[in-house]
Amino acid sequence: MQLPPESLGGWGLVVALCGGAMRGSIPYMFVSLGECLTEKSGKINLGMEGVLLMGAMTAFGVSDLTGSPWLGVLAAAAAGLLLGALHAWMTQQPAVNDVAAGIAMILFGSGLAFFFGKRFVAPMAPQLPLLNLGGWSHTPAVASALRISPLFFVGIALSFLLHWVFTRTRWGLQIRATGDDPQAARALGIDVNRVRFFAITAGGGLAAIGGAHLTLYFPGIWSEGISGGQGLMAVALVIFARWSPRRCLAAALLFGGAQALGPSLQSLGINGYYHLFNASPYLLTLAVMIATCSPNRSLTGMPGALGKK
Amino acid sequence: MKPPDIEAVGITKTFGALKAVDNVSLHLPPGVFHALLGENGAGKSTLVKCLMGFYPADQGVVKVNGEPLRVGSPKEARRHGIGMVFQHFTLVPSMTVAENLVLARPDLPMVIDWKAERVRLAEFLKQAPFHVDPDSRISTLSAGQKQKVEILKELYLETRFLILDEPTSVLTPQEADEVLGLLRRMVDRGELSVLLITHKFREVFAFCDGVTVLRRGKQAGAGRTADLDSARMAEMMMGEARAERKVGKTRSPGGPVLYLDGIGAVGDSGVEAVKEVRLTVREGEIVGIAGVSGNGQRELLEAIAGQREMTAGAITVDGERHLPTREMLLQHRFFILPEEPLRNASAPRMSVAENIAFRLFDRPPFQKFGFLLDRKAIADFGREMIRKFSVRPPEGELAIGDLSGGNVQRAILARELSSGKVRVLVAANPCFGLDFKAVDFIHDQLLQARNDGAAVLLISEDLDELLELADRIFVMSEGKLVFETTPEAADLALIGRQMAGQRV
Amino acid sequence: MKLKGPDLFVPLGAVAAAMLVFGVFCAALGVNPLGVYASLWKAGFGSWYSWQNTLVRASPLLLCGLCTALPARAGIIVIGNEGAVVVGGLGAITAGLSTAQMPSLVSLTFMVLAAMLCGGLWIAFSVALQHYRGVSAVISGLLLNYLAIALMNQLIEGPLRDPSSFNSPATFPLPLDHRLGFFSGTHVHHGLLFGVIGCLVAWFLVERTTFGFSMKVAGGNVRTAKLVGLPVGRLVVMAGFLGGACAGIAGMVEVAAVHGRGNESLNAGYGYTGILVAFLARQSPLGVMLFSVLVGGLVAGSGMLQRAHDLPDATITVLEGTLFLFILLSDTVYGRLKIPGGKANAVAA
Repeated sequence: MQLPPESLGGWGLVVALCGGAMRGSIPYMFVSLGECLTEKSGKINLGMEGVLLMGAMTAFGVSDLTGSPWLGVLAAAAAGLLLGALHAWMTQQPAVNDVAAGIAMILFGSGLAFFFGKRFVAPMAPQLPLLNLGGWSHTPAVASALRISPLFFVGIALSFLLHWVFTRTRWGLQIRATGDDPQAARALGIDVNRVRFFAITAGGGLAAIGGAHLTLYFPGIWSEGISGGQGLMAVALVIFARWSPRRCLAAALLFGGAQALGPSLQSLGINGYYHLFNASPYLLTLAVMIATCSPNRSLTGMPGALGKK
Repeated sequence: MKPPDIEAVGITKTFGALKAVDNVSLHLPPGVFHALLGENGAGKSTLVKCLMGFYPADQGVVKVNGEPLRVGSPKEARRHGIGMVFQHFTLVPSMTVAENLVLARPDLPMVIDWKAERVRLAEFLKQAPFHVDPDSRISTLSAGQKQKVEILKELYLETRFLILDEPTSVLTPQEADEVLGLLRRMVDRGELSVLLITHKFREVFAFCDGVTVLRRGKQAGAGRTADLDSARMAEMMMGEARAERKVGKTRSPGGPVLYLDGIGAVGDSGVEAVKEVRLTVREGEIVGIAGVSGNGQRELLEAIAGQREMTAGAITVDGERHLPTREMLLQHRFFILPEEPLRNASAPRMSVAENIAFRLFDRPPFQKFGFLLDRKAIADFGREMIRKFSVRPPEGELAIGDLSGGNVQRAILARELSSGKVRVLVAANPCFGLDFKAVDFIHDQLLQARNDGAAVLLISEDLDELLELADRIFVMSEGKLVFETTPEAADLALIGRQMAGQRV
Repeated sequence: MKLKGPDLFVPLGAVAAAMLVFGVFCAALGVNPLGVYASLWKAGFGSWYSWQNTLVRASPLLLCGLCTALPARAGIIVIGNEGAVVVGGLGAITAGLSTAQMPSLVSLTFMVLAAMLCGGLWIAFSVALQHYRGVSAVISGLLLNYLAIALMNQLIEGPLRDPSSFNSPATFPLPLDHRLGFFSGTHVHHGLLFGVIGCLVAWFLVERTTFGFSMKVAGGNVRTAKLVGLPVGRLVVMAGFLGGACAGIAGMVEVAAVHGRGNESLNAGYGYTGILVAFLARQSPLGVMLFSVLVGGLVAGSGMLQRAHDLPDATITVLEGTLFLFILLSDTVYGRLKIPGGKANAVAA
């Protein structure tokens, strides 16, 4: 994607950032929506980093073996469902703390991903086809920024779908009730454990699709450092988005843009502090967390049961 | 649909070694307002959960309209029109009234047609006994309004046999009369049966047709309220006449000790919960703060205890500024008994002896050479206190979280009252959920501290407790102290209106 | 608190169960699990030579385990160990290079102090964020790990870079006599001593001092700690600092005993493995000693699995993840072992 945007001057950076935001936001989108679904049921899944890696590896492997990237996406979702189900089961055991279980799942998920990933020596797997929305532009930088992965639109649709589910469907109301006050939910005849199992499992499946994007999009390679903490940052992003799927979408775009900052500057020939610029998403996340969290009051929109055993 | 006929015969239910309900029978024909009366721990809740089919009775049967009730499915009770309003709220705080009512519908379709639901709700609310805005969020409602929504929810689900578990504990006397009065009218019209769990005689006489009294799980008596008087009912409830109080008030108050100078604090949701609370407690005096739960009492205690940031004001003890540091707590001999001691005043997984040492562990003899901990001294001290305050079981090494509620309270009392002569004692609902033997013990300890010259601030939702113990009573409403009286001059109706925030 | 039977048997049982499941995993992949067990044993504990390998691996794990275990006693889950190792190592190499002219012992002392300060402040920051701002230390810790690595890369490719290290950027090396030595006749470096002493001091601090007791009260229930006037903020930040200082020393040991310079190998994953050690040890410093050796043995065996069974090095990560899951599940079992119906009264009331 590093095309010479000098011809566009200052706009080059903007175009590169926007393009980067649309590309880079996809993993954030899927993981944060998955985490949003999970947390709405009152449990935290900190193991999304492991889920993301498993999704990335599975998608790559299946796409490579079958030649179909869409099968890869499905397989990634299936792997995510399995990890989500494991996390759901773990956190429903008495005396198991969600946070500790999440740390264990990071280690376990990334271990499995690295283990099976070792076999995929193919340099590149078949990638998802891109939608070419920039055909009208004669500027190559704009045209390239508008070659967008279909998963981008799937993510947008999902965030609206999730909002609809939470406000307009029985399952959505039941998930919210479970996450806000499990005792009240039980009194309403809701099977709290089943709702949580469903939400956490489905959340894992969603997050893993974000992983598929990592390996099935240019340059389409699998490496152990490919997720770079995005799974974890997406968890922080849900707090920033106040547990609203539509705000998750906006926050994901912001984070995608921050991630594109280092490479965009580099493409403009600014190379100093390369590593520090690349760390800007981490700094941004930390800053956002410091700004949004508060030590002694509950955050608006936060499911009431979150963080309570 | 008519209210069902409910009959329970010879119900017995045991938990471990405890017989919670022992051979109790009850018959409630359609259209009655019946009271289930008893002290805390008398087995009322257990009996009712058997009636609801929440869990099976060990012996005995529950018959609904003559057929035995199938156990283990709340839906079965619902099918017969049996519903219950619990002591703790079962509303989802982040949802609106409408969402809560709709979510409770058992036949809710997968995709909710909000337009149709709203029409149904509006129709229901038109003929409902009380009015609540369907679009207000539960978390913004007062306790009294929530209680009304709970009852509305049951009526919306076409409950014809309504069980109310101590519904008036969160209501002001006026609200209680309003709610129970409106339900009484529905009973009179034959639309509803009500089983009211309570320990307040006044409600039994004002609203109920009949009463069943439980004592330690056994049926201690039953009858029509018209045939009974309160002395007879008290005798059934308590067994033998209650032992005379051992400790009386032996002195009158002295000079000022504790001064709360305009205290302010912010609640969990970020709104101002305590506003300019200003009061003085004198030596040898118990000052009570009354009020309906949720009017800032919890936040006030937390601010005094250092568990919550004070946003305004100051505390002085004997004219000196007090801050919640170890040095000052010791210097001012300032002690605190918060409500829910397991959550607020103990480390559940540490041992009883360690918990008892929390006030003193960093002073000799528990501390040596300035930094070493003498664990033997802690164990010995713990043993002594456990004996003195009769904590059961008497084992200092047990984790305090494994003790029963009353014994946790005793252990915490041991810590707070034995760490030296008490100058200031602040207590909040110290007897909540305890049986009356434990209650008497704690009341005696509070009076003893008062008689020994301590300044005692007692925050309580139990007005009877305050009338019995306090020398002066303040009423707290919406974060402010709105009224002051003495037990001798107390006018219950006036206190009730003040609690509800109605200025007269 | 006395060490009771279940405190030891339950985690060891979890280890056994995890090994069993791991064996099934191997069998499913067509590798003989008994062979894998034998290889792991041989590589970790089979001979004096392999014991030495294990102890070399265990020495950073002892310190990294404390980085999670100490703050855990004050009630905060810290997982920023990896970052603290990295900044500790960077601090140590900076101090070491700027004191290169001074006597060896002085220089090493400065290196230890600088590493403790860097690692300690790093974790203390993350703990302070949780206590004063409500930002989960788990999230900030992981973010700080990535920031530490970015900082390291920036420094070793920039201001600290030795121009002669072309392919793999690194700092200038420490003078040979400014490095930690080895126990005579072995290849176990003196860094092990730091770990062992660290665990013993930490045990003493937690179990025998009033400071440790205060820490446990804060960890047991923050509300109670405030009620009895303990300075909770200072306590938890101090616990975080002490934990981070331990991880910082681990970084210093890697620099001063293993690599002799600062390079990418600082980010070798000991921090993450240390979290596992702390949880296996149920956050007890003495337990950290036991489980560092055990996990150190497993890590030492990873090369052997590759050579003997053609299993990738991530195999050990899978085993570690499985171990972690089982140790958490063991808490459930532990709870069931404990009080049979002891709460019946509380339930009925």
